[in-house]
Amino acid sequence: MRFIPKLTLNQKLGVFALALGALAVFANVAPGHTVKVNAKELLTSVGRAEDHVTPAELAAWIVEGRSDYRLIDIRDEKSFAEYHIPTAENVPLATVLDGALGRTDKIVIYGDGGIHAAQAWMVLRGRGFAQVYTLLEGLDAWKDEVLFPVMPQTASPEEQARFERAVQVAKFFGGQPRAAAAPGSEPMALPTQALAPAVTPPTLPAGAGGGPKKKREGC
Amino acid sequence: MSAPFYKLGAFGDEASLIVAFLIGIGFGFFLERAGFGSAKKLVSQFYLNDLAVFKVMFTAIVTAMLGVTYLSWAGFLDLSLVYLVPTYWVAQVVGGLVLGVGFVVGGYCPGTSVAATATGRLDGLVFVVGFAAGTLGFALVFPLVKGLYAAGDIGTRTLPEVLGIPYGILVFGVVLMAVGGFMGATWVERKMATRAVPAKATE
Repeated sequence: MRFIPKLTLNQKLGVFALALGALAVFANVAPGHTVKVNAKELLTSVGRAEDHVTPAELAAWIVEGRSDYRLIDIRDEKSFAEYHIPTAENVPLATVLDGALGRTDKIVIYGDGGIHAAQAWMVLRGRGFAQVYTLLEGLDAWKDEVLFPVMPQTASPEEQARFERAVQVAKFFGGQPRAAAAPGSEPMALPTQALAPAVTPPTLPAGAGGGPKKKREGC
Repeated sequence: MSAPFYKLGAFGDEASLIVAFLIGIGFGFFLERAGFGSAKKLVSQFYLNDLAVFKVMFTAIVTAMLGVTYLSWAGFLDLSLVYLVPTYWVAQVVGGLVLGVGFVVGGYCPGTSVAATATGRLDGLVFVVGFAAGTLGFALVFPLVKGLYAAGDIGTRTLPEVLGIPYGILVFGVVLMAVGGFMGATWVERKMATRAVPAKATE
């Protein structure tokens, strides 16, 4: 290799760049389409129930007017237009990685049941979204537990008190309590989006959900 | 994946300003050290007798490109989080021409004019005042040029997407282009050095 010292520094750098460039042909760089999953970490957080919030918890957050999280509805636009949980933003499942969500946001996602939200949860966690939660059992559980809570048939005073609170919350969200579910009973009509005026709601954050202000980027 | 640091929350908004400040100082320092604090050096580019601007800028591009490629290949950098300026091709062609004319006439581009001002050059200072006034003027007439501002919007595009070439092959192609460009530029400089140079004669 006697010819190397004869090259000027610039020429050596050029050769070095060419070598790195040639090697880069084999680089497996596909931005935006792959996820790396730390399986152990994911399973542990599921096991510790750190992957979800319950409908009751979420209802309490909304009633309190908390704005330190973003509630994301991953169903399609049509379903979202028909009904969504107050303060939710619509980001359909296929587009969750397209930039609407920030890595550092605290995010609660829900779909109709629990499955689509769990799939989105896997993908988001794999892509480094640290604070993602699903709504346990999704909108189905939201309806059963928050909007239309069931009156316990034989209730202890304690259960009675809890039910009274649930009724207040249900009214707040425009739902109503119902008697113990009889098989084949009429499905309850979903409320319109407005929160019930009967209960004075604590001021909800303007702009539904309002995550941290997006910083303008560029040169 | 641990980068980009800001996007992954390694530091907040305030710290990001400090980081930007430090990077800015580094950028200015190297511009000045490359000789770009002098309008003569910059404008020589257009008389083809000193293509240092071309070489330095293309070197920076290739260095950054290889760095980003290898960091993301190694799993350190999440490329999907790196901000890409959307392409407004009509607006960018017009803007490029305006910048080019300003570069030839004024002798600086925005970054180098600040570096020149910092070294005490009066022409640099005048240029800075000029581009500050131009920025303000643009803001004032913005309603009139709003249509142009977003003309040719084709969204965020990358070359591998548009050309349908795998990422790695494109990287190699750009390196080849750069090395070829450096050799060509050196050849042109030698060729032009033998002729009389109007730019230097008048100074």
